[in-house]
Amino acid sequence: MNERSYSGIWIFGDYRNYFQNRVTLQLIAKARGLARTLKTEVTVLLLGDHVHQYAMEYVAHGADVVMVVDHAALRHYQVETYTKVVAGLVAEYRPEIFLAGATPFGREFFPRLAKRIGTGLSADCVALEIDPESGLLIQTSPSFGGDLLADVVTPDHRPQMATVHPGVFEEQPHNGSAMARIVYPQVEIESDDRVQILRSRAEQKGKVRLEDAPVVVAGGRGLGSREHFDKLFELAELLGGEVGATRPAIRSGWAGNERLLGQTGKSVKPKLLITIGTSGALQYTTGVQGSETIIAVNRDPDAPVFKIADLGLVGDARTILTLLLEKLRKRL
Amino acid sequence: MNIAVCIKQVPDVPAIRIDPSRMTIIREGVDSIINPLDVIALEAALQLRARHGGKITVLTMGPPQSEEALREALAYGADEVVLLTDPAFAGADTLATSHVLARALSLLAPFPDLVLCGRQTVDSDTGHVGPQVAEELSLPQVCGVSEIHLEGSSVVVKQVSEGLIYTLRVSMPALLTVSPELTLPHHCPLANLERAFTEQTVLKWSTRELGLSPDEVGLAGSATRVWRLFKPPPRRKGEVIVGSAHELVEQLMEKLEALSILDEETGSE
Amino acid sequence: MRFEPTMKQAVIRRTARRLAEEKLAPIAAEMDVTGKFPLGVAQEMAALQYFGLVIPHAFGGAGLDMVSYSIVVEEISKACAAMGLCISVHNSVSAYPVYEFGNADQRRRFLTPLATGEKVGTFCLTEPNAGSDASCLETMAVRDGDGYILNGNKIFVTNGGVSGLNLIFAFVNGPGKTKEYCVFIVESEREGLEKGQNEELMGMRGNPVCPITLNDCRIPKENRLGEEGQGMKVALSTLAGGRIGIAAQALGIAQACLDVSLRYATERHQFNKPLTEFEAIQGFLADMAARIDAARLLIFRASNLRESGADHVRESAMAKLFAAETAVYSARLGLQIHGGYGYSKAYPIERFYRDAKVCEIYEGTSEIQRMVIARSLQRGRGSP
Repeated sequence: MNERSYSGIWIFGDYRNYFQNRVTLQLIAKARGLARTLKTEVTVLLLGDHVHQYAMEYVAHGADVVMVVDHAALRHYQVETYTKVVAGLVAEYRPEIFLAGATPFGREFFPRLAKRIGTGLSADCVALEIDPESGLLIQTSPSFGGDLLADVVTPDHRPQMATVHPGVFEEQPHNGSAMARIVYPQVEIESDDRVQILRSRAEQKGKVRLEDAPVVVAGGRGLGSREHFDKLFELAELLGGEVGATRPAIRSGWAGNERLLGQTGKSVKPKLLITIGTSGALQYTTGVQGSETIIAVNRDPDAPVFKIADLGLVGDARTILTLLLEKLRKRL
Repeated sequence: MNIAVCIKQVPDVPAIRIDPSRMTIIREGVDSIINPLDVIALEAALQLRARHGGKITVLTMGPPQSEEALREALAYGADEVVLLTDPAFAGADTLATSHVLARALSLLAPFPDLVLCGRQTVDSDTGHVGPQVAEELSLPQVCGVSEIHLEGSSVVVKQVSEGLIYTLRVSMPALLTVSPELTLPHHCPLANLERAFTEQTVLKWSTRELGLSPDEVGLAGSATRVWRLFKPPPRRKGEVIVGSAHELVEQLMEKLEALSILDEETGSE
Repeated sequence: MRFEPTMKQAVIRRTARRLAEEKLAPIAAEMDVTGKFPLGVAQEMAALQYFGLVIPHAFGGAGLDMVSYSIVVEEISKACAAMGLCISVHNSVSAYPVYEFGNADQRRRFLTPLATGEKVGTFCLTEPNAGSDASCLETMAVRDGDGYILNGNKIFVTNGGVSGLNLIFAFVNGPGKTKEYCVFIVESEREGLEKGQNEELMGMRGNPVCPITLNDCRIPKENRLGEEGQGMKVALSTLAGGRIGIAAQALGIAQACLDVSLRYATERHQFNKPLTEFEAIQGFLADMAARIDAARLLIFRASNLRESGADHVRESAMAKLFAAETAVYSARLGLQIHGGYGYSKAYPIERFYRDAKVCEIYEGTSEIQRMVIARSLQRGRGSP
């Protein structure tokens, strides 16, 4: 493989949930810096059906080129269909670096694509830099739930591929007068219908959407009983959030498995996490430590949960929760 | 329906500590367990077998001690277990790992209707192996399924992605990776454990049985290299307050005000 | 000489630990406060063969070897000593003797219900006047036709409150009017067997310990375990095996003390450093850890000897003696490490302290164990 024949930084345009999901724009901003170092361009690859408005957004946020494949068969994200199209484009245009947001689709699609191409891929990166000596992309990827970081490189295969954690980089502001090239490569599209979408619906109210909640209220064994745990639901309602639970609370039957936070449950990064009666075992904290602000309540002043809290309150979980609800009911 | 489950033996992550001088994992005294999501995948396979019959084969690529994970899989209820082990497999990234697993799966007769894995492992966290095995075997894939139902020659699955619940029909053979909502693993009966270790067998395949050459596997067959390992910077620790319940709740309310949580139109929408 | 657990033993430990953490740890404190035995959890455990640990598969048991058995009892006891006590007594001195000395008919009638946990078993030896001195037993079995009539008072019967089958140690008049031991299997519902109220104890409060009275209790000869004249053998063999189970149960308590104390000492800061940086605390932890390791090795050795069929009277006495004293030792130091918090019921260490003490008393007091060991030394088995 001749590395010199590959050039350019590509970004997969993940436009689903465009207004909440800003990761493509964040990647464009980061890629512009990398592109300056490598003296090359940033191209956003956009696949979909009637997606021209996103192409314009990408231009306004800093793309040098937007490559658009607009076709009815690409209406829904579909791994096999997309893999075929994109692999073909990569073979033709030979980008040196190819990035995607580590969204659920990105994390499903990019490994398959990397395997089809036969190149290396790092996951959920929290940093990207060009190594000054070798010119390689240094991809910083977390492991052990974020406890250990690895700097990974792909020395001999191209493109160098990585999925990137949303929220790590900052997007450039919208610039309505930015200019860029928009290209429409001719591609043969074959729909793979071995996976068919029968229906999709929004998760209903009452269905837990912990990952999207701006506020998460979590309870653990320190709440003592189902009766006290149930008070978390009122607290969540008052604060506009959702209820999560630790494994001991779920094992005690106080909540269903869909509320499990932590290593084998959900990872949440809400604006605010209030964690009550949880000791802060590592299996739990790996799932919540990314929250912007953490308030913890525990009667043990040495509970590990206080190590990750911005505000720690040493007291009985049940008493504090009951009192807090009283005050909030009056206030709101 | 015949099901293959790919598992990985991983360190018991909550017990993990990092050696700051060598930036490696301290493995002494740390238990090795089956990756928790892989146990859930196996449990899902057991439930499907209970309803529809068939055979469950569990495979893992790992050093010889991974046999322990496979015997545990037997105790859970697997019919057959295969250890893919060879010194040449060491240092594999997901590209090389998926190659070995895919080759092994292709040797199963009959070829499984479903291949199940956990969505990701608690050590590497990549979530790549499932899709990459699917790619090599040209299987349709769905990642992170929370429900699986058999319908003729397809499975109907649910996948929650970015606030939407997708119901998908996938024609078999297919590969699915599972999310934690799918099911909870049962507790292993001790009699099954005893039998798994004393009466049952573990098949062992190396590069020879798999028909692989050393440059296709392990470090040689990998595209990525790890240059260095390091610990992330520590998270801030805020203040810890002791006081009466009233004082504490006052502090909490002040914090909520400061975050503008109480300003917004909260409550049911 | 291998010191590492085998793969099987490692997985068994993990499996038992997971069950203990999920099912027992959340309820252990409450069991201690209410004194209520958790029947639901016990039934779940029974379905997983925790009540037939060393009984072969053919009778519904797990068929584990003795080392694996010790590991399971340790892990269960670490989470909840009262349940650990329940299963070790049930397995070692109730179910196992029925397996070892029961005939085919008795195995069918009694062993399978015990191994599957359908019935919880007890071992009734102690009486108001017979503690360490078993020769003072007053429970008598008088021949009556084809069977016997039992009269007597048994006290401090572990598992008594929930038991379905009870092994009753009694005296029978042997040939030539000499008394000899006899063990009878008596169903709880048999007429003439009465259970008293559960005891209010210092520790192990979740275990339903109660007195059992036999009042003209008529039992058929088919309920006698072992041949007449075998009674002493049954008694001694049972006691030796029971020691290992109780030792493992005591070890579980000791390990629990070390685990919580280590964690506390790591997190608690005084004088600007964690407790683990103070020499005194390091000494406590080191002494606990060394004794716990030693206790575990003694238990494994005794288990290995029993498994291989070799004589293990001295080794099981050593294991029981040392593990029991280690449990009490670890609880005392552990509580001291916790300081004021250790005295509070908000922390588990005070429960471990109360649970540990009885380990030096039941299944043969430490004084009796010392006597057994000393006699064995005198019989000539001094150096290895």
